[in-house]
Amino acid sequence: MATPVLELRNLAKEIPRPQREPFRIFQNVNCSLRDGEFVSVVGPSGCGKTTMLRVINGLLPRTGGEILIDGKPSESLDHELVMGFVFQSASLLPWRTSLKNILLGLEGRGPERKESEQIARKYLELVGLSGFENHYPHELSGGMQQRVNLARALAVNPRILLMDEPFAALDAQTRNFMQLELLRIWRETRKSVIFVTHMISEAILLSDRVLVFSHRPGTIRSEFPVPLERPRRMEMRSDRTFIELENVVWKQIEEEVNASGGFTQM
Amino acid sequence: MHRGAKARNGHWNNSPRIFEMNEQRRTLNANLIKIGSIAAGLLLWHSLAVYAINDPSLLVSPIVVARAAYEMLFVTGELYPHLWASSWIFFYGFALSIVAGVPLGFLMALSSRLRDYVNPWMATLYTTPRIAFAPVLLLWFGIGGGSKVAIVFLGCVFPILINSYYGMRVVNREYVELARSFRLSSRALLVKILLPASVPFILAGIRLAIGRGLTGVAIAEWFGATEGLGYLVFFAGQTLNVPILFVGVAAFAVLGILGFELVRRFEIYLTPWRRQAQGG
Repeated sequence: MATPVLELRNLAKEIPRPQREPFRIFQNVNCSLRDGEFVSVVGPSGCGKTTMLRVINGLLPRTGGEILIDGKPSESLDHELVMGFVFQSASLLPWRTSLKNILLGLEGRGPERKESEQIARKYLELVGLSGFENHYPHELSGGMQQRVNLARALAVNPRILLMDEPFAALDAQTRNFMQLELLRIWRETRKSVIFVTHMISEAILLSDRVLVFSHRPGTIRSEFPVPLERPRRMEMRSDRTFIELENVVWKQIEEEVNASGGFTQM
Repeated sequence: MHRGAKARNGHWNNSPRIFEMNEQRRTLNANLIKIGSIAAGLLLWHSLAVYAINDPSLLVSPIVVARAAYEMLFVTGELYPHLWASSWIFFYGFALSIVAGVPLGFLMALSSRLRDYVNPWMATLYTTPRIAFAPVLLLWFGIGGGSKVAIVFLGCVFPILINSYYGMRVVNREYVELARSFRLSSRALLVKILLPASVPFILAGIRLAIGRGLTGVAIAEWFGATEGLGYLVFFAGQTLNVPILFVGVAAFAVLGILGFELVRRFEIYLTPWRRQAQGG
């Protein structure tokens, strides 16, 4: 079997507290991501999904376990952009136009300015925003901002895309369109994706596998392969397999919420 | 206002053209209100001077002031030396406080050690009335330009320093994470994220500094000056020359307005992404 693109071994994160035992956010996280695979992570609020994504990307230090990229420890690859992070709020720099926002990750790296600009344009086109090169973020809608956010992460050509609830702030309709767009872009770029979301149907619609996180300290409680064919379509949401899977996953999250003291305790 | 757009397109929209039309109309209305407000103020002043107070040793009509200003500008030309003297002192003190305040503010934001050293001094100097410093500075820098520039500097530097400091401190944490996710160097983080993010704050500090700087000019020129707008106002007050007194005050006001307008233009040029927030 081929080496996974990303492998997490007993990954853990805790925050030290004075005079008390450390605050454990997640622990014993084991999983691997195959090349070109789309994996979603769902779980109760506050279970540490987002923190895990940040630890994988090195935005936060881990306190235990290993992160392997193509079988090598992630530290040895830190200066290379193996991973692209798509933030929950688009977090575009308001003083940069769309094009220049996408250029941020390319500046000061290999390619010349002219070449970088061509790359940035290519990704702006990929996310369907040709003609918006010189628009500032405040001139773009929420959906468009997320498209630029995605293009910015893709432009440095990472192997792995880490997405932190990127569609959470969008209205339901825009969200559906963005899900389909993401699938198209994923098909065209063949990235490996870890997608964190609160929305079970979103996770199922997009993914090859859905991982369910337990309550805090979070760990992967179970995983479900999604047996739906690709390309995915919105109509699949009413397939029996889809609905059954949605119910099973929901049942598990409900159990986790109850085990942590119930919804009111969250 | 939106009715035309709605009828034509059959739905609400905010296409740029319609947005611009509303914007133009709003700007026109705002300008009319501004002019009306000034006109009403002048009228009130005139009525007070002529009908209510009617004592030229206390208040004169704006018409008298305008006539005096005209004479001092175009007949005798005696206003110019005062205007230049004050402008230069203001300019030097103001420029120095930007040159010193912005980098020091940044350094304080980046180093908590430096912050601890500077903070008590800043708190003390910022809150002590500058007018109390004036005689001391006069003693140190002499009666020439140096002491005056120092007084202006003391007035301008703190708002600029404090705003530069806060501007860099409150930079959105997400932008810093973004820089980290792209593995930007600390230099790139500074140049590409922290500096541009704090520009609006620095400009706000500079705008505050204009008023405080002009106050500094007035204070500086009350002590042993022989020219300058502050001297002119002080002298006219002593000799009960009300028209000249008001010309001096008006000249200060004009300098302040000019300064504000310059900063506003500069702001539009430097921060085109904030055009809407700045308004017309």
